[in-house]
Amino acid sequence: MTTHAGDATPSGPPAVIRASLQGKYSGFASRFTAFAVDVGVSLGVFMLALAAISFAAKVLTGADIAWNRGDLWVIIADAVWQFTYFAYSWAASGRTAGMALFGVRVVRDDGTDVSGRRAVVRTLALPLSFLFLGLGFAGILLGDRRRALHDVIAGTAVIYSWDARAARLRFLSRG
Amino acid sequence: MDPFERQRLADGRVVTRREALAQAVTDRAVELVVSALDVNALLDRVDLNAVLDQVDINRLLDRIDLDRLLARMDLNDLVQHIDFDALVEQTDLGAIIAASSSGAASDALDVVRSQAVGLDEFIARWIGRLRRRPYSGPPGPPDGLRARAAS
Repeated sequence: MTTHAGDATPSGPPAVIRASLQGKYSGFASRFTAFAVDVGVSLGVFMLALAAISFAAKVLTGADIAWNRGDLWVIIADAVWQFTYFAYSWAASGRTAGMALFGVRVVRDDGTDVSGRRAVVRTLALPLSFLFLGLGFAGILLGDRRRALHDVIAGTAVIYSWDARAARLRFLSRG
Repeated sequence: MDPFERQRLADGRVVTRREALAQAVTDRAVELVVSALDVNALLDRVDLNAVLDQVDINRLLDRIDLDRLLARMDLNDLVQHIDFDALVEQTDLGAIIAASSSGAASDALDVVRSQAVGLDEFIARWIGRLRRRPYSGPPGPPDGLRARAAS
């Protein structure tokens, strides 16, 4: 029986991480799950912020504030927060919380660190990838450099940033 | 007794004596030459690089029985001679050990990331099959990273 690259075993890392993945273009699953985590984190923080504002308003003025997700200013605040969360994270370190969790990072298409301007462009272009049933993400599956539409627009790419070889050493050291 | 037999015996004794004498003279001569030679001066005149250029190291190594060589070595004694502190300081071994000895959170991260990578590869292999293109692992790295790694 041959072992395919990427075969995961219940007791250890997949065979593919025998080689270091650092710098290789990240795959769809890592990116998608990282994005799902980010959506959860940013939404959670936003809800917490609303709850904190409600609590503060009740303590200070005694008035109850009822939040309605359909309110225009709630939508605007949410959009501003989402933009800040993604743009700041990518500009500051090239990764959001979800990306840090899954060991992936945004870089310029030549592999250098992403600039603030590109981070902003990437954040603004991100919704475009969702249009037409998410057709903009097809490039991650089909492209040679695994780039989505917003990556192409911003001139960025997503790479693995974790040291898979060290992970394997840790796994081996546990016996 | 055959008179020629006596003659042959006498000749044989003479030849043996001559050979012994020649051997003694040669030994003495070699001894004198070696003692007169300044080996260090001789080695100074030898171009060792030129000699090494002519040596086929691979062929030489093929002729060495490493198993036999290792069997004769006391590896425990050898290991005790290694200055591990200096080794850790001068190589990436320290970083590897540090990375290898982190805690449970790191282990959990490894598992999560490994599973995600496994899924990445599973999807990529299937896409490769559908497109009839053999999949040979994740592409990359970007040119800039490759150049940086090479320098």
